[in-house]
Amino acid sequence: MPPHLLSRPLPDAIKTELERLFLDKVIANLGLCVSVYDIRSIEGGSIHPGEGCSTYKVSFRLLMFKPFNGEVLVGRIIGYDDKGLQVSLDFFSDISIPGHLMQFGTVRGPDGRWMLKTEDGDELYLDLDDEIRFLVSSTKYPPIPIDQKEDDPPFAPMQIVGSIKGDGLGLLAWWAADEEEGRRRQSKSNSIVLL
Amino acid sequence: MKIEKANAGVLTNFEVLDFLRSRGAKTDPMGCLGAVTASECKVYEYLLKTPACNQTRESVFEFVKRSEGFRLADADKLNVINWRPSSAADAYAMIEECGRRFSRDERGDVRDEDEWVQEFLEIVKEALPPPPPKAEAVQE
Repeated sequence: MPPHLLSRPLPDAIKTELERLFLDKVIANLGLCVSVYDIRSIEGGSIHPGEGCSTYKVSFRLLMFKPFNGEVLVGRIIGYDDKGLQVSLDFFSDISIPGHLMQFGTVRGPDGRWMLKTEDGDELYLDLDDEIRFLVSSTKYPPIPIDQKEDDPPFAPMQIVGSIKGDGLGLLAWWAADEEEGRRRQSKSNSIVLL
Repeated sequence: MKIEKANAGVLTNFEVLDFLRSRGAKTDPMGCLGAVTASECKVYEYLLKTPACNQTRESVFEFVKRSEGFRLADADKLNVINWRPSSAADAYAMIEECGRRFSRDERGDVRDEDEWVQEFLEIVKEALPPPPPKAEAVQE
């Protein structure tokens, strides 16, 4: 607890310090810290020799963003390359949907955009800023690289791999029209019914 | 720092939204600078765009109570509460192995999974409030 915060009431000061340490930061295998949920106990208050700050032992809970495998999320497409799509939730942007986890029949079109060809012959493009619903396939926490080359992409401590292979996944627009038709169709499980 | 418990509990989008609201988050980016940080504001704005934005504790409890007969896993319930499926395709996306699990009832007899899915969607529609319509009109 640095000295300049000591004039504030203790729980507030400790909360500020915890927020400074954890907020918007990734903890390996635990996810992205969104908020300090609560402080359960504070003990201590001793001052170590040679330091001006007091040390406390705090027990607290953090609210983490850590989607489980199989959780459904909705985000926006912010980019695409030959490996797949990049999706962003506004507060977290390191989500990728690789080509092999897209609906069967999705290929890269001539202009670089990914495109799904349906049974009816329609070409459904996955464009920038389209809202997309995906399943979390896995979350990786790569170790911090020792040295990076000039043109390497910025290091992402937490990377989510998503999948849009399955009923109800993919662009929201693909499935929105299905609601009115849902009752008329007799769809068997695991068949994709589009428009 | 020692991690006492890596996973103390799962929260639905609604609970996170409620928590941020109680901390003072508002849609106005200037207004919430004092109480919550910019990153928390971003999370708050993202959650406002999901169906969680007009859920209440009572509606979530009601949904959990009424869906007991379907024997959903916690993960399935979380997906459904967070995204409020409105069609069969949505339900298949959110419930793992939906077709296989809904095709047999408690006694192990075969039942019509489509009917069961529709019944489930009715419960979702009644228990959880529909998300507000988006600002831009949907073009066909």
